[in-house]
Amino acid sequence: MDVLKTAFLLSVIALFVVATPRVAPAQGVDAQMLLHPPADSWPGYHGDYSGRRHSALTQITPQNVKNLTLAWAFQTDQRAEIKSSPLLVDGILYFTVPDNIWAVDARSGHQIWHYTNPKDKGDHIGHRGVAMYKGYLFFLSPDAHLVSLNSKDATVRWDITVADVSKGYWTTMAPLVVGNHVIVGVSGDLDNLPGYIRAIDPETGETQWQWNATPPAGTPNQTTGGMTWMTGTYDPDLNLVYWGTGNPTPVLNGKTRPGDNLYTCAIVALNPDTGKLAWAFQVSPHDTHDWDAVQIPVLVDGDFHGEPKKMLMQASRNGYFVVLDRTNGTNLLTVPYGPVNWSLGVDKQGRPIPNPAKEPAPDGRLIAPDEGGLTNYRSPSFDTKNGLLIVDAHPSWSIYFTKPADGAYGWAGADYDVWGKGVIEAIDYQTGKIRWSHELGPRGSGAGVLTTDTGITFTGDAMGNFLALDSSDGKTLWHAGSGARTQSSPITYQLDGQQYVLTSSGGVMFAWTLPEGL
Amino acid sequence: MKWGGIFYGMKSLGLFLRWNVLQLIPLFMVLAVSAAQTPTPSAPARSAVKKSGTVARKSYPPARVQSGATLFRRDCSFCHGRDAGGGETGPDLTRSKLVAADVGGNKIGALVRNGRPEKGMPRFEFSDQQIASLVAFIHTQKNKAPTKKGGRKGVDVADLQTGNVEAGKQYFEGAGGCASCHSPTGDLAGIASRYQGLELEQQMLYPKHEKSKVTVTTGSDQTITGTLDYLDEFTVGLIDATGAYRSWRTRDVHYKVDAPVNAHVEQFPKYTDDDIHNLMAYLQTLR
Repeated sequence: MDVLKTAFLLSVIALFVVATPRVAPAQGVDAQMLLHPPADSWPGYHGDYSGRRHSALTQITPQNVKNLTLAWAFQTDQRAEIKSSPLLVDGILYFTVPDNIWAVDARSGHQIWHYTNPKDKGDHIGHRGVAMYKGYLFFLSPDAHLVSLNSKDATVRWDITVADVSKGYWTTMAPLVVGNHVIVGVSGDLDNLPGYIRAIDPETGETQWQWNATPPAGTPNQTTGGMTWMTGTYDPDLNLVYWGTGNPTPVLNGKTRPGDNLYTCAIVALNPDTGKLAWAFQVSPHDTHDWDAVQIPVLVDGDFHGEPKKMLMQASRNGYFVVLDRTNGTNLLTVPYGPVNWSLGVDKQGRPIPNPAKEPAPDGRLIAPDEGGLTNYRSPSFDTKNGLLIVDAHPSWSIYFTKPADGAYGWAGADYDVWGKGVIEAIDYQTGKIRWSHELGPRGSGAGVLTTDTGITFTGDAMGNFLALDSSDGKTLWHAGSGARTQSSPITYQLDGQQYVLTSSGGVMFAWTLPEGL
Repeated sequence: MKWGGIFYGMKSLGLFLRWNVLQLIPLFMVLAVSAAQTPTPSAPARSAVKKSGTVARKSYPPARVQSGATLFRRDCSFCHGRDAGGGETGPDLTRSKLVAADVGGNKIGALVRNGRPEKGMPRFEFSDQQIASLVAFIHTQKNKAPTKKGGRKGVDVADLQTGNVEAGKQYFEGAGGCASCHSPTGDLAGIASRYQGLELEQQMLYPKHEKSKVTVTTGSDQTITGTLDYLDEFTVGLIDATGAYRSWRTRDVHYKVDAPVNAHVEQFPKYTDDDIHNLMAYLQTLR
């Protein structure tokens, strides 16, 4: 099948769909919706495929955002914090914590159903959300199963194993649906295990392909690791999926894995139909600090120093902001966006050069950023109008140790945070310069970022305030104390002519909107 | 090559550990079965503790240890490692002072239920039975730790002795600028008796619990000085001289935070690792 032709045809259809009020009954998610999400939907982890987490909705503006009011709040009644990004399809929201999915009416915030999968096995560190294809949800469980459920009533359609929990794998991520592929990644860096990306048939649950980030465990002198625990992005024109890979293992001891440790801490471009690697760019060659490069690979088309480019940008956990030509992986820019002291500069390919003197050592090494990194899994947002990648940054310092007695399995060392804070940074993508920054408080925030066409940046601070900032200068336009820190990224949608912004903190989901009649 | 021996040594350690972790549950079974064959069988070891007066060699029922292992892996392993030997951000529990002092969960239970928000550890709502299983697992791991080779072992005081006392003293008095706020005979007198090893180094790099002062000037030109208790961009709160909490909207007042601890943050980019090790060597002489 000619994918480009199909994509073109689909986008033509999508334009028509967007322009026409949707009166059809609930049908779930189709390819058109994923390519061009209508205003009343958020059908994938990032909203659309680009990872920009930027909305064209214009009802809420810098002028009226101060009037934002609570439409509803939903209590999960769980100790686990919401780390997932909700989906919105046919007026119903779907979000998760480990072992739990809720379907919630996006108008009222009341529960339609609650699915629990209390298998008690696997690591319950977090859950990022579900994916949807037609009327079916896809949910990765902590014991590394992919469960397909009927979105109407949460009945299980099939349940397959994507990784062996007994070896030390677990899963947290929201799958990416591309065509008839449900693309999933795995977690598991407490053990020396290879990471991989797998495409699964949404109808049958059968594996279509698997791409391995690293060789099998036990391969001499080779690394393991490269976990694939965040949702990638997709360019339908190039028909490439972009995915970040995690740190190598053993984590803090690099001596048994000499060299660059491909493909750990890398951004990879894969053909979604075959799993074939088109190119890879390693953001942290030979990492020894746990700096996964799984942060969202944000896809932007635009001008780069006078030339039109199809770009991919990532504010990476290791402290570097990278811009790539996403057609072939060529590096356009690599600059730090906060304190970084572990590299000897950048090589000819644009990769940071790790300083051997800053690898963990028996008597400790002072390292910036800390293990959590200069940013982590929560989404940044690309503000088209101002040309800014806006990211929740975490300037920080820590001390890293490893000694022969720590061995060469799993963690293989110890590290301790010394100091950190949270700052929203607006990075000029052409230079890497920080256009503006907004302090969020001690330790750091953990809130992702959403921007809108009217020039608003939604995020949260380190004390639990939801914030709306002016995207042009970072000034605060609105806030609301939520009682707990945010660990997720906001979304927005328009239903019945009313724009909503969804933010979570702790175990509560909040929906914000303008008062009626305003 | 110098690293050759260590390299191969570590590889075999890795294999050993790999086997060890993969066989985790069967291993517990073996341990527990052998424990069950000793004179202190499945009866909760509380009585055994009273008799022996020590928790070091206490054994637990195998089923309890196993459910503790599952629960630990579910909710604790991300930070503390699968074997409780430490992981991302969380300390090695087999070397924890609190675990060492714990008797039958009297310390661990409260800590798990209250969390340590200041250190980033959340609270967990576990039943008494779940706490008991966690306690059984953690103590079993602690008992096994001394005989285990490899794995995360944290930082020993002995690891932090690579610095030079004289160079550290010079840095303290000169380039480091430490002496502009601190004195070896004043605030730092006896510091090495109060903190040792890693804890001393962490205090030295950034004393996390240091409080800042704040002076608030209200619209009516009243000035209140106190200990800064809360600050975001909208609200400033302090504990005043009477011990009372008072707060204002930041837009209604002028406030000035006096945080000498920020000098530590300014020092981070200036340090070499040798500076830190030398400074540690010097501070360890201040007993």
